[in-house]
Amino acid sequence: MRIVRALLLPVITIILIVILSRPMGALPALGTLLDPVNGWAANAEPVNTDFTLEFSLPGLHNPVTVAIEDRLVPHIKAADDHDLYMMQGYIHAYFRLWQMDLQTRAAAGRVSEVTGEKWVTDQRTGKKKNATLDFDRAQRRKGMLYAAEKSLEAMEADPRTKTMLDAYTAGVNQYIETLNYRELPLEYKLMCFEPEPWTNLKSALLLKYMADDLTGYTEDVPLTLLREQLPKEEFELLFPQRIKGSIPVIPEGTQYAPASLPTPEVPEEDLWSHLGAGNKQAVSKSGQMHTDPNYTAIGGAWEGATAMGSNSWAVSGTYTTSGSPILCNDPHLGLNLPSLWYEMQLQAPGINTYGVSLPGAPGVIIGFNDSLAWGFTNNYRDVKDWYEIEAIDKDFYRMDSVPQPFEKRVEAISIKGVADYIDTVSYTVHGPMMYDESFQEPTVPGKNLAVCWMAHRGTNELLSVYMLNRARNYIEFTEAIMHFECPAQNMVYADRAGNIAMWGQGQFINKWKDQGRYVMKGNTSATLWGENIPMTENPNVLNPPQGYLASANQITTDTTYPYWYNGYFYDFRAWRVNAAVKATGIANVEKMFAVQNETYSVLAAQALPVMLLTLDKTDEHTAALGAWNYYLHAEDKSASFFQIWWELFYNKVWAPIGAMTKGVMKPSVERTMQLLQADSMRFREDLLSSYRMTIDSMAKIEGAGGGDSAAQWYKVKNTSLTHLTKIGAFSYKELKIGGWGNTINAAKSTHGPSWRMVVEMGREAIRAYGVYPGGQSGNPGSKYYGTFVNKWVAGEYYPILFMNDVEKDKNEKVKYTWTVKPLNKG
Amino acid sequence: MKRLLISIIVIAILAGIAEYFFAWWALAVVAFVVVMASGLRGGRAFLAGFGGVALLWLVVSLVKDIRNEHILSSRMAELFSLPHPVLFLLVAAIVGGLVGGLAAWSGAVVRKSLF
Repeated sequence: MRIVRALLLPVITIILIVILSRPMGALPALGTLLDPVNGWAANAEPVNTDFTLEFSLPGLHNPVTVAIEDRLVPHIKAADDHDLYMMQGYIHAYFRLWQMDLQTRAAAGRVSEVTGEKWVTDQRTGKKKNATLDFDRAQRRKGMLYAAEKSLEAMEADPRTKTMLDAYTAGVNQYIETLNYRELPLEYKLMCFEPEPWTNLKSALLLKYMADDLTGYTEDVPLTLLREQLPKEEFELLFPQRIKGSIPVIPEGTQYAPASLPTPEVPEEDLWSHLGAGNKQAVSKSGQMHTDPNYTAIGGAWEGATAMGSNSWAVSGTYTTSGSPILCNDPHLGLNLPSLWYEMQLQAPGINTYGVSLPGAPGVIIGFNDSLAWGFTNNYRDVKDWYEIEAIDKDFYRMDSVPQPFEKRVEAISIKGVADYIDTVSYTVHGPMMYDESFQEPTVPGKNLAVCWMAHRGTNELLSVYMLNRARNYIEFTEAIMHFECPAQNMVYADRAGNIAMWGQGQFINKWKDQGRYVMKGNTSATLWGENIPMTENPNVLNPPQGYLASANQITTDTTYPYWYNGYFYDFRAWRVNAAVKATGIANVEKMFAVQNETYSVLAAQALPVMLLTLDKTDEHTAALGAWNYYLHAEDKSASFFQIWWELFYNKVWAPIGAMTKGVMKPSVERTMQLLQADSMRFREDLLSSYRMTIDSMAKIEGAGGGDSAAQWYKVKNTSLTHLTKIGAFSYKELKIGGWGNTINAAKSTHGPSWRMVVEMGREAIRAYGVYPGGQSGNPGSKYYGTFVNKWVAGEYYPILFMNDVEKDKNEKVKYTWTVKPLNKG
Repeated sequence: MKRLLISIIVIAILAGIAEYFFAWWALAVVAFVVVMASGLRGGRAFLAGFGGVALLWLVVSLVKDIRNEHILSSRMAELFSLPHPVLFLLVAAIVGGLVGGLAAWSGAVVRKSLF
């Protein structure tokens, strides 16, 4: 008895310790986390931390110097490429390790491994599903790992990119090896996992993650459904391939060289998959999904397909105060913390470049070097097509009447706490069969759909980055971008010699008209992708007569471009960027700041007067709207009223169309506006009813607490910077910023300008400015975690320190120095 | 009383060192061993362990928190839905103290059964 009593307490103590050392459901391991010696407080970085360091690194060839600014921007100087990228890897890991780790795990479909199961109720089916496993399966089934492995092969086949990757990986791993539990980034302690060694494949995965982010969107399935259900004229009226009045990326009138490839004939057989057959009843039932008046009160729900986008433009020296060209770029991506971008300068023999890099990959992605500047916007030409597969059984599918074997790829997904999930993906001649009976496409469940996607190819965009960072003139720039196959980008260019240029760059296929716009039959070789269009024949222009170039995800060319293509183009920002840049007259950097932060809504300016006129009534709301200047200012309540009204109207008027695709797709906002302008009376009833709903919505927003000011635009749309774990305490909410997807300052709920850059490429000097929503440190316990957020919100910029010689230049902004020496093994 | 105070201070110091070199649960071993050695009993043993570890956790987290200007403690408090960062430090110290106290009490019980 005495023994039992003596053992009882120690046993209880041990059980308590065990419980506190393990995560419990959504709770982290409390003991490990709350312990201030090794847990959370070890990540509470002293605000006056001295970042100066002196250390040795095995494998380094020569000493490396890193000058670090007061806002933690590092400037690396190394004696060769190897040392440069090794140091870049080390620094990325030093400040952003957890983010790199999680993003590449996400790319590979390995999130379940660290988060375990997450059961949610499926909105469509009402059934319980493991959302994390579904995410991982989707990543595997769309071929992310398969694609990354192929690109890795291509990157390792070139000695330049092989050195880049090997050195970068070594640098990341050198840092990981120095870590003990106490020094791990906080998120590892919260989520209870540990970093694993970095590999070249992980960098390849990150690049494919970007390719997916930028070219993953498709409309093939909904367009197929719509084409089947709508009369031909109505379909063409509602879904034109080219919006009237579109101002293309390459200015109208630019001469294109004749195509070197013949225009392919449209094959005569039946080419299209018929997805709607036996499906009609299902679509007509699920009609009224978006008519809930509360719907618009949730910002994130209505970003829709236009969530992604970017602006860039270059103004020729003829139209600038200084006489030097100015290049501007603001790519709009997911607004997360830690930010996708990490700012830095890289210097070594043959390279001196500054800009933003992607933690997880070597090189500078967007920026400038000592000769030229470049920027990217997404090109949005369609490079992802779907094929309906005629499966004979589990092992064979039919192709030109001949059975072909599926190539099976087994994907083992490990899930924390439970047994592995084994998924088998069937690959066809087109690509992986992403959707089948076991993993269903949500709008056309049960169909066997394979995807043919440019991102599946083994391409070496990293070589483009390597060469861009070193390019000295326009010729070298064009040579560099010939390796940039996917994701296709509109690449804007300006140099110190005074040139500006634009390329709609990427690898494209010489398609017959409409090829790949709808889901194609996968059992005939007539629908297979054809030849590559030589990349030198991609639309491009150098020093156009109009004196500037602008891209904002609109269509690339006018109708004179000899190759047929389709895509997912947007026009509001393009219209406004063109108008705003022209309106500046003679430009300077300050005027460019103003343009990048402008919130004038072309949609409001063109649609609202028509809407008010059609409404044919006056009250206090119409009076306020009538006096409004169409700027979506942060505090403006008319902006909220208009956007909610527009959204309700749009969803109401297209509810029958939306029902045909289970709400997935409706005519574009641009097209809707033009139809409204052409015949507004046709829409009068929907305008009236949505107007009344808007008044109700506004009253609800104001009544829900917070009173009158709750209806201010920035509160209604709720632009947020969300930590990758979605932990609210590590995120910023309701940022006081104006704009929306239809304005140049496209600050939406979860997406927005991820890096604003303005660079004047002077002959004598480069004047560069930049800001991104985040901070250089990925540690939520660091004062550098969100350093740039307020400036970004306010539309302010940091003057960029671009050093001629990182080692010798003295600058007051440089506060810390790393002196890194080779460690001789001996 | 003096023995209790000395035990608290010894546990705080030794637990800090042990945690630094091993892991957080090393504090339990320290509390257990120190109480075994000191001969404290029952409630006083628990108090020694609780007080020692809570003191250690409070001092360490306060020092780090002040140097951090409460950036992370504020975020952690929000994460645990606590209205004030100091409350987060206190809750953490109580959790640590509880483990220390139980370990110390265990030490006292085991000692009693052995001798």
